[in-house]
Amino acid sequence: MMRAAVLTLALIAAALTAGPSHALQDAEPAAPAPEAQIAAALTEDVVEIRSNFAGAELVLYGAAVGLEPGDDIAVVVRGPVRDIRVMRRQRVLGVWVNADPVRFEEVAGYYAVASTRPLAEFATFSALRRNRIGMEHVRLSSPETERIETRFGVAGVVVSDIGAAIVDYRSAVVRNKARDALYVEAPGGVEVLEGGLFRARVVLPPATPTGIYDADVYLFREGVPIAVRRTSLEVVKAGAERVIYDIAHERPLAYGLLAVLLAVIAGWLASVVMRRN
Amino acid sequence: MLIYLPIAEVSLNLFVLLALGLGVGFLSGLFGVGGGFLMTPILMFMGVPPAVAVSTQINQIVASSMSGAIAHFRRRSLDVKMGLILIIGGAFGSVAGVQIFALVQATGQIELVIALCYVGFLGVIGALMLVESVGAIVRRSRASAPPRPRRRKRTFIDTLPFKTRFAVSGLYMSVIPPLALGFLVGVLAALMGVGGGFVAVPAMIYLLRMPTNVVIGTSLFQILFVTALTTVLHAAQNQTVDIVLAAILIVGGVVGAQIGARYGQKVRAEELRAGLALIVVAVCLKLAWDLAAEPSDLYVLIEVRGP
Repeated sequence: MMRAAVLTLALIAAALTAGPSHALQDAEPAAPAPEAQIAAALTEDVVEIRSNFAGAELVLYGAAVGLEPGDDIAVVVRGPVRDIRVMRRQRVLGVWVNADPVRFEEVAGYYAVASTRPLAEFATFSALRRNRIGMEHVRLSSPETERIETRFGVAGVVVSDIGAAIVDYRSAVVRNKARDALYVEAPGGVEVLEGGLFRARVVLPPATPTGIYDADVYLFREGVPIAVRRTSLEVVKAGAERVIYDIAHERPLAYGLLAVLLAVIAGWLASVVMRRN
Repeated sequence: MLIYLPIAEVSLNLFVLLALGLGVGFLSGLFGVGGGFLMTPILMFMGVPPAVAVSTQINQIVASSMSGAIAHFRRRSLDVKMGLILIIGGAFGSVAGVQIFALVQATGQIELVIALCYVGFLGVIGALMLVESVGAIVRRSRASAPPRPRRRKRTFIDTLPFKTRFAVSGLYMSVIPPLALGFLVGVLAALMGVGGGFVAVPAMIYLLRMPTNVVIGTSLFQILFVTALTTVLHAAQNQTVDIVLAAILIVGGVVGAQIGARYGQKVRAEELRAGLALIVVAVCLKLAWDLAAEPSDLYVLIEVRGP
């Protein structure tokens, strides 16, 4: 508790002394003096995956200077991106076969949204879409199936080659990730304390991918974000897990020989013990 | 207690893994099989990626075949010359199998191919074993003599060239059939994460007509080298050998095999074979059911490996 209090005090100081938080690409026309500022920090900025890793729980603390009644806060944590392929199972000769692959590029391996209220209650659809806030607005782009066309006189419309089916593929990505608790949405997950202080829990499941995570805090007023603050955290393999992973990828041949050597020694020991008995 | 597996990148319960290693080790000691055909599917059911399950299980078989091969080497119950020819075939098969694995994985069908291989091989071999062992039990209860072996006929195998003498087995035959058998076993090892004894042993007895007393030892001798090579190849090419998982499985497997081997001496051979056949058929049916049953989610996510 003491630590939390010190942390929040430090945060307020940071918010007061720090320059304006970085501008939003789609924010309203920049006012000379920002209406509000956010400071935020995580209780840990490095999460280590060791042999006993079974997930982790962190708290994002922050202070919003200029928070008015009716304002809302949304916290979005995005994990490292990877390319994934989504396939639909089809029955061929009585057997379910993976078919019709769609490749999505740079999909976040982890995506968590926490907010003071359900997103739709305080934010406009376009603000959520532009800032990729909410499970329906996760960035899922599949350049291989997309074309940019002019339709009905509107330039730059993204059209999918596979038509409406792309919607099923997108929701399949979110559904599958949500099943492993990698994609989560927590309306009410941001708790506003007095004086513009707030906190949100960030739960990392056991399947958490390693890499850099960005936590963005948005302050919403009248449907649009008026301030945003980014803080990062890193999930790393540590200790023996790290050493093993690094050797396996950097010295794969030596690793394979080592694995065989260990197995041979184990088998030989077993036969020695067997003989003695 | 959960343990994080660095290559599989999943957290699994350490005690469950140890118990599994123990259980499969027990069965392998009891029946004299490697147990890869049980462990690889179980690991996949538990959420270990197929590529990691196959290559890690292969690493475990190195340990179990090592202790078995040493015992047979001491008793001189193995045909080294035959074993070496099988290993040469197996080396080519293993290299081919690892390439096939990488290719199939790139198309997103690896789970299907592994499952189909299992259903095919386990179905045929389980059914044959079941018929044979039940037949033996029935004959024994009727107290009739086993059918007299028919006189050996000249087969296709006898017409092949490159003949050589296998002194230990007392055979004079072409090197092509053992090379081909070794190749097949190598492919199976790389693709299915099994030692391949369940294919090699019947093939050696019925096709190569090797004497039964050297078959098991020779098979283990070959399995040891082929699985060692396959482990190195999978590690080098796909980085899918999880040394932590392998170590846990080896510990459980070694202890379980001891218990199983001791228990096995009290049970009659026909009942043992029938029991093994039932397990093989059950695993086959389970995998076949999973292939045919409607999946809970029609879509699958496959991470694109590499940068």
